[in-house]
Amino acid sequence: MATEDNGAKGGAPAPQVQPPQKTAPVAASAPPATGEAGPDGPKLTPAQLKAKAKAEKAARRAQAKEVKAVVAAASPAPAGQDGKAAKGKGKQESGGLQPPNVKPSHRPSVSGRRPSFAAEKDARSFIPECFSHIPMAKRVQTSHAHKDVHPAVLAAGQQMATFAIKDSISRLEATLLAFKKVIESYDTPKDTSLSRHFVPHVLNPQIEYLTECRPMCFSMGNAIRLLKAQVNTFDINTPEDEAKEGLLESIDLFIRERINLAGYLIARNASQLVDEDDVVLTYGRHRLVEKTLLRAKENGKNFSVSIIDDPYDKGGLQLAEILQQAGIPISYSPNLGGLGTKVEEATTVLLGGEAIFASGFLQGAAGTADVAIAATKAGTKVIALCETINFDRERISLDALTYNEIDPERNSPESFRLLFDNTPVKYISGVITEFESGTGFSPAQAILAILRKQEDPIIA
Amino acid sequence: MAPVSTHTPTLQKLLKSLRDQDLETSIEGLIFLLKRRQVRGDQCANATAHILLQVVAKSKWQSVDRLLELVTSAGSRLVQAAPHEPVIGNIVRRVLGLIRDEASEDRNADELSESVSDLQSLAPVAPPPTSAPARPGPTPITRSLTMPAAGLQVSKSMFNLLSVVDTLDSYSTGASTPVSLAQNNSVHALKSEIIDGIGEIIDEVNQADDQIAGFADIHIYPGDYILAVLPSPAVERYLIKAASRRRFTVLVASPHSQGSGAEQYSALRKKLTSAGVKMISLSTTGLMAYMPKVSKVIFGAKAVFQNGGMLVDSGCCLAARAAQEYSKPVIVLCGVYKFCPQDTATHISWTQLENPSSYVGYDDGETVDTIDIENTLAEYLPPEFVDVYVTNLGPQTQDHLGSIMADHYKPEEMSVQLGA
Repeated sequence: MATEDNGAKGGAPAPQVQPPQKTAPVAASAPPATGEAGPDGPKLTPAQLKAKAKAEKAARRAQAKEVKAVVAAASPAPAGQDGKAAKGKGKQESGGLQPPNVKPSHRPSVSGRRPSFAAEKDARSFIPECFSHIPMAKRVQTSHAHKDVHPAVLAAGQQMATFAIKDSISRLEATLLAFKKVIESYDTPKDTSLSRHFVPHVLNPQIEYLTECRPMCFSMGNAIRLLKAQVNTFDINTPEDEAKEGLLESIDLFIRERINLAGYLIARNASQLVDEDDVVLTYGRHRLVEKTLLRAKENGKNFSVSIIDDPYDKGGLQLAEILQQAGIPISYSPNLGGLGTKVEEATTVLLGGEAIFASGFLQGAAGTADVAIAATKAGTKVIALCETINFDRERISLDALTYNEIDPERNSPESFRLLFDNTPVKYISGVITEFESGTGFSPAQAILAILRKQEDPIIA
Repeated sequence: MAPVSTHTPTLQKLLKSLRDQDLETSIEGLIFLLKRRQVRGDQCANATAHILLQVVAKSKWQSVDRLLELVTSAGSRLVQAAPHEPVIGNIVRRVLGLIRDEASEDRNADELSESVSDLQSLAPVAPPPTSAPARPGPTPITRSLTMPAAGLQVSKSMFNLLSVVDTLDSYSTGASTPVSLAQNNSVHALKSEIIDGIGEIIDEVNQADDQIAGFADIHIYPGDYILAVLPSPAVERYLIKAASRRRFTVLVASPHSQGSGAEQYSALRKKLTSAGVKMISLSTTGLMAYMPKVSKVIFGAKAVFQNGGMLVDSGCCLAARAAQEYSKPVIVLCGVYKFCPQDTATHISWTQLENPSSYVGYDDGETVDTIDIENTLAEYLPPEFVDVYVTNLGPQTQDHLGSIMADHYKPEEMSVQLGA
């Protein structure tokens, strides 16, 4: 979702000035009215008056846009639209001044600032035109972040921008834990209720900031969608404490079920597919593959592992060391060279996925698709491991250039690199998720079909 | 086996000093360079041809058989020094074929000495000594040469005027006693023929890249996105040539390297940019991601085998596989001298490994001790991944490779066992 929005940014910044308003006006349409009456007169300087006039205009425009926004809100990926908000320009800040009757800490945030816009432009100027639709993570200085961004979210955002936290599940977990802090420190302002105020005025700035740091991964988008749905289930009259309690609980449940338990189940299911004397080939270092192999070893299987590494990441080397210490014989290849012979020697290929699209395509670290294709051609079975939270039910990628990210570390005139690639469904023998359907080993499409029908437990 | 001399050995220095050194030193010098992989890839062909030229010129031989023996033994030593460079074997076989050709022509000349000049004017036109259709069968040349010299002197064709003949006279052997004057002359003449022929092979090798580049604008269209994987000098020349005629974009895939990514291709970038062609540097990892944008894939082969399979840098296999997935054409550049008459036993036998210390340092002792690390440099690419082979004789398909092989190698050479 974020991917898509950031992509749009390159094209037409002008129309995007409005989107940030689209959620704000619903709740904030009252404040401007009272605010402009001038109860906070002393605060207004001439400059602010000017800003006010501008804001009025902005509000009118926003009203006009509202119809549009409502339509958009009905569209399936609300989190994505929040991502869009991040694209708003600094100009919007003037809007931020208008509703002074709200508590300072909870002013309707209209948009994240874009202070480093120029700097970012420079960074993006190296991107070849044919890839210029693809978003890229960037470091937002904490001092330039929107004032409403919670410190815990600031920290998480920084870690994501610097790729200290990089895989989809770690990012999801960091996001949720930070949101818990946000909820804990939240006080519903007077005259409004949590279910109305929390999402547009508190949660959205956090999401905008995170998206600005690095385009959101699908698991984050899914989780945020579920969280918002959860907020909407609260009645207006629900006491704040009760609502907060409910939210915190559901986040805890979510982390337990969709992350921890899912990881455990996938490792258990997948480890059953590792047989005695197998040669398991994997690419890079993926948390689920690592768990699976260690689990299989604990089960007393004797097998060897062939690790093909991504030379930029070198995660495979860490995995090699971990598995070697567990007593698994390792053959390590620092790059994709000799792939053809290595997949022939392997009996099983285990690949970790960052996401799975509605079309069943697997999004993985760049190079995953090469391994899958080579293995399929060599007649070796390819098993993808992925938590269901990473499944995206709406997005369909045509190829790896539809949804991707540019590696900010490798973005210069001398080098260019995309972070992900897509493995077509025909090169994946099966996907293992936490669902227990037999061995939990089914084609991606089947799992998507279940997911489409399934009510997400967190909403219920 | 003392290496060349006091100075640091390089190919250039070795080639310069060939004239003044004795043969053994030169051979050892090249073996040394090959073993240290200071001479690799395309240079091997050139170096081998030069050394074999010295073998023909400097060693003492009175019969063609003896010469074949000498060349085979020197060639075997070079092949053994660098078994990963099949091109060396190709050149040795080409030279052996050349010697047999020249010798049989001499015999023919013996029979119809009048028409020698006509015959000669036909033969040496193509850089590869075109196989004369009616040659005596296998193992034909057993007798030593005894024929009048007169007819042979004529046979120096104009094509050879500029090539490296001068070594000949100073090294003419045969001054020793037991040889008759006639025989001496005929050996002398034959030697000059052979040396001319080797000169032509050297020219062919040196010109191959330029000739290949001549076909550049056939397969590159305006607006193309060309993925050049680990561009070899031939590929670079091809792209630069195409850039002078067309506007397109080049994506160069180079392996991961410490420090700045594509420094090794900065010269190429400069030339392409000055011609108005954009160049984007990628890594060889994860080429699948870019393939939808790519319109053609191009790389150079280290060797092409009889079945059309190739020995290529390992990144090229990835690119070819990804290209096949998206049905993008794959263009392989290779001079005809890279065509290997051998069959490929197994593809694994051609996998070449390289020092992995750039990926896993030796300071990481525990890892180095306990984990098998394989860094593949080059591997075998099956023929089904390639759409066109662009050679110095023009673009070829896989089906036609057989006849090109037959034009350049005769059964005798194909069966020659070089190396261990």
